[in-house]
Amino acid sequence: MISLSEERLRGLLAWIVIVLLAVPVGGALWLGVAHGESPCILCWAQRTSMVLIALVALFVVRYGPRPRYLGMVVLLGAWGTFMALRHSALHLARDVGQGFSGSILGAHTYIWSWVIHWLVLVVVAVLLLVLRGKLSDDAVAAPGRAGRFAMGLLVVMAAANAVQAFVSTGPPPFIGQGDPIRLSLNPRHWVWAQDELSGRISWRGSWTIPRPDAAVADPNPDHGPLAALPALPVQRWERISARLDGSLNGFATSASAGSGPALAATDRFGVYVLDSTFSRVLHRVVLDPGFSIDLSPLAGAAFLNGDTLAVMSDNKSYVLLRPDAAADPALEWRHFLDTDGGVTEVRRGRFATVRARQLYALALAYDPAADELITLTVPSQRHQRLVVSRFDRADFLLASEFLPRLAPGLTPSGPDRGLAEYLVTGAAVADGLLYAISAAYSTLLVIDLRSKEVTAAYAVPGISNPVGLAARGAELLVAQADGRIAVLERPHRSSSPWT
Amino acid sequence: MEFLNFLLILWAGWLVWRRPERERLAFGLLVASCLLMALLFLIGTHGSFVPGVNL
Repeated sequence: MISLSEERLRGLLAWIVIVLLAVPVGGALWLGVAHGESPCILCWAQRTSMVLIALVALFVVRYGPRPRYLGMVVLLGAWGTFMALRHSALHLARDVGQGFSGSILGAHTYIWSWVIHWLVLVVVAVLLLVLRGKLSDDAVAAPGRAGRFAMGLLVVMAAANAVQAFVSTGPPPFIGQGDPIRLSLNPRHWVWAQDELSGRISWRGSWTIPRPDAAVADPNPDHGPLAALPALPVQRWERISARLDGSLNGFATSASAGSGPALAATDRFGVYVLDSTFSRVLHRVVLDPGFSIDLSPLAGAAFLNGDTLAVMSDNKSYVLLRPDAAADPALEWRHFLDTDGGVTEVRRGRFATVRARQLYALALAYDPAADELITLTVPSQRHQRLVVSRFDRADFLLASEFLPRLAPGLTPSGPDRGLAEYLVTGAAVADGLLYAISAAYSTLLVIDLRSKEVTAAYAVPGISNPVGLAARGAELLVAQADGRIAVLERPHRSSSPWT
Repeated sequence: MEFLNFLLILWAGWLVWRRPERERLAFGLLVASCLLMALLFLIGTHGSFVPGVNL
């Protein structure tokens, strides 16, 4: 067994301090002096952490391995690892080759920070494993030549960093910057700022996205963001009389031109194929939401031509199903918590978006002309956007994405009002138009998929908590959570899909 | 503030090197510097303690 005396530990630590200060800390200084690279506020904290780790090691060199020094170095290693991961998370998932500032040996400085802090923890653990005898509380020891050199080097490095910090971040109360400028010794180029002190404090930052709840939306069309909308009255009411387990969360019909089976999704992950009168269940499965890609509450449903069924959860995960008389119960057991035995799961995946990122979606539609699936987002307090995302059915990747504009003739009801206030919970495509029903303000939006404009909007008084929208010939069916279906006359229909 | 923090470290390092009998003061400066470093990092992330990823 390898063992290490306290005296040798002190000597070894002195050399570790020299390497730590000379390579990563000295390298960072060199980047600044030779290449003008200034650290951002997060980089500064990580560089400071490395110097502090060197300082704690020098405490051990001078005073011996006291427990509080070891506790402090483990804390610094753990906190530094966290800082580096937190910092790297801003850039790791970007496109190939996209980082922040310069790189060393192919990796950016925040990655090296992670490696170094992680190595500190490993080295501390190894040294404790091989340290012979008890942790001491000895008096001051005279450092050897390496120890003295390490202490002098720390003082020099701390002074040099203080100079760089003064130049690039300024004296208190100024602090580091999120997007620092090039280092310069010319005072005319110095920028001292406190920008980072402003901004909303939040535990999860821009990822603080509450789950949407359409049930609490204001249904009154008169309060909506668009002024003087014409009313589109409910022609009659129908009802899903087939027995569903749970309340309705998504609804679609198979043929926009006439009658056909319908698709219903419930808040208990039930997916039902219903007959055209919604009175009989033709197929039924209960999806396993925790298997593989996780499903949050189901929110949208669509038929993809033929008999392929698509359901989407509000986190934009989706499942494709197909009625299959030859479905293998043993194979499908892993997909379904319950099944009638006549359905196969074809695919389970996640829609990846750009503008709709960090937004939940409660509506799914299928455009047969383009062979694309369409999702619409719901706004959150953090991100106020109504985004239409289109996914190619060939690979289920994003084909296009847009924020609809208002066509001439539609006017906001106030200076700060806009489409992002709508909470779209159902969508359907017919005649080249995307129809979207909003639970907020009970409004039907008509979106031209070519011009990307909302060409018309209608108040639909009398509906409550709509969860799905389907086209059926000349009608639109607004499905409510309670299973009732409001039948509307479909506006802007035409005999040609491109007129 | 980063400038101030390196002055604290400089002071603590000087004490360890040249005035080793002032261990309590040096360790106090070390703790103060650690806290300031952590505070500046949290300011830089606006308190967003968790990285921008799914948990």
